[in-house]
Amino acid sequence: MKILVCVKQVMEGESPVRVHDSGKWINPCASARFEMNPFDTYAVEEALQIRENVPGTLVHAVTVGPESSRDTLRRALGMGADEAVHILDTGTGYRPPFLTASWIAAYAGGKGYDLILTGIMSADEMNGQTGPMIAQSLSIPCASAVLYEKPGPDRTHISIEREIEGGARDMFEVKLPCVLTLQTGINAPRYPSLSMVLRARKKEITVIPAGVFVDQEPGLRLHSLYSPQKQRKGILLKGTMEEKAKQLMDILAQKALLT
Amino acid sequence: MGKKTAIIAEHHNGEISTVTYELLALAKGIQESEAGDICFFILGADTEKPAQTLSTRTGEPVHAVCIPGLAQYNGALYKKALSALFSRTPFDYILAPHSSSGMDYAPALSMALGGSCITGVKDVVRTDGALCFVRSLFGGKLSAKLTTDTGPLVLTLQPGALKAFSPEGKSQGPNQVSNQGTIERSVLDITDDNMVYAGTKASPSEGSDLARADVIVSGGRGIRDAQNYNHIEMLARLFPRSATGGSRPICDYKWIPYSKQVGITGTTVSPKLYIACGISGAPQHVEGMKNAGFIVAVNTDPDAPVFQIADVCIVEDLMEFIPFFIETFKQKRRKKDERNDLGESFLA
Ligand SMILES: Cc1cc2nc3c(=O)[nH]c(=O)nc-3n(C[C@H](O)[C@H](O)[C@H](O)COP(=O)(O)OP(=O)(O)OC[C@H]3O[C@@H](n4cnc5c(N)ncnc54)[C@H](O)[C@@H]3O)c2cc1C
Repeated sequence: MKILVCVKQVMEGESPVRVHDSGKWINPCASARFEMNPFDTYAVEEALQIRENVPGTLVHAVTVGPESSRDTLRRALGMGADEAVHILDTGTGYRPPFLTASWIAAYAGGKGYDLILTGIMSADEMNGQTGPMIAQSLSIPCASAVLYEKPGPDRTHISIEREIEGGARDMFEVKLPCVLTLQTGINAPRYPSLSMVLRARKKEITVIPAGVFVDQEPGLRLHSLYSPQKQRKGILLKGTMEEKAKQLMDILAQKALLT
Repeated sequence: MGKKTAIIAEHHNGEISTVTYELLALAKGIQESEAGDICFFILGADTEKPAQTLSTRTGEPVHAVCIPGLAQYNGALYKKALSALFSRTPFDYILAPHSSSGMDYAPALSMALGGSCITGVKDVVRTDGALCFVRSLFGGKLSAKLTTDTGPLVLTLQPGALKAFSPEGKSQGPNQVSNQGTIERSVLDITDDNMVYAGTKASPSEGSDLARADVIVSGGRGIRDAQNYNHIEMLARLFPRSATGGSRPICDYKWIPYSKQVGITGTTVSPKLYIACGISGAPQHVEGMKNAGFIVAVNTDPDAPVFQIADVCIVEDLMEFIPFFIETFKQKRRKKDERNDLGESFLA
């Protein structure tokens, strides 16, 4: 099987996010650290596990992003991906998922991928649109929030389970090629070993400037970006830890929740 | 001629889901700025009962589309049916829930219709003359206002973000309106062999005793390591009829079983007291516990979104605060016991 895994670079969850002066995108502070979107690590891992089970499988990773996002491809190679493709977007503003998906679809179309995997969403923008839109662009089926997959013996279908509300799972037989967006917990993503990291450093990464793709209207405009007003409905305990513990105890006692 | 808004109703086992009424609240919000018609669309193998419910409770027109092969949600069928419907009868806004199904079909639908898509919408506002849709980014640390000039716009609404529409404007949940909406019925006999439904598996959280507990103490990624979950367990032990829970990631890491997961894809709980420790307060978690009687949150990050819904906010390191709180409480209890001479050990 030929698998394409879509990965995105995001700021680490605990890095502070500040809005750029223009109000049109974020301004990572100097101390900000970047990583592979945690949701995408499940997609890379799943592809590698398929390769372990289905002989002859190839795993390619693709990302859309600035120069610096190549680190995320190195990470995918370090985990074990065979090849990596960087769709280089030098824009610094907001890029709606429609464009990301259109570019990936334009790249992937006609290359014979049986399966395209993505995370369920990105940790930064939380859209969850890229995977489903790639499928639509390529006119192939898509299942989101997938927690189990197994390619059928004749490689024409894949059996999947997708998670629904309350944690139940709907099972489907999906025709290949298709796109799956993977829900967290489907596997335990591996850490690249040192030898793999070294090997990954030497690998050639194909770079394609986003400009080569047909110019498309982004559709959406980011009007503004801001820190949401704190609509705290409760009280913020002040003082030392001792004072906070005492206050909490009193509040819970008053409410007869802890006596 | 005004702008037309379609709402795709979500329903399960013949019942209309609450988020469907929240979608109507969003549609009314759009209508306030851009007057126009609203119409519900309801898809399924058996749409009669939910269509009746919707029309009597909202007074809005309902288009019931019976698709014989659609007893269960099927993304391929939904996309096929919706793009056919909306290509024939265009709408300016198409509203869907940000649910496991809405997330699945909305992005593709927008593309099929040559429009745009905004997922996880929390609100609609008019800013500088533009109709903007508000959504969260970076785990709720930032909000964005998005707008578009190219229609149609397909939106998914974050469940719980808006108060559900009800005829009297009460928060109690919809009852009845005086004028029932018209119901248009059609049958769409489509199939799709791209995606064939093969059954549903029960949730691992089925039968979880979380739903019965009076007090739930939950841990999130902030506990940092499986063994630190003992802080959560020790805190829970102070309370009678208590249980321990957690956010999804710590179940994914196998630190605790999925039966303890709180949230939309785990158990929905409403205990008297919920204590969230090291949980950021993502909408998928909050949706599963916001109906708790009283919420206490402990988090090192003063900007954590969980503090927006907590009754008591404590900015502390849980690893220090919890043991300290337990110790302080036990001391107080010992003093009280000495005074009352109960002679009975609490931790028996
Ligand atoms: C379709 C879908 C369904 C989902 N369903 C669910 C669901 O049912 N339930 C669920 O929980 N999630 C669900 N999620 C995941 C959800 O989006 C969040 O990723 C998740 O809830 C975050 O968990 P968390 O708060 O534990 O981790 P994080 O968001 O990483 O937060 C950790 C928090 O701990 C704090 N912290 C760190 N160290 C300490 C310390 N020493 N003391 C105190 N605080 C500390 C940090 O400041 C941070 O706020 C779902 C996601 C999707 C896409």
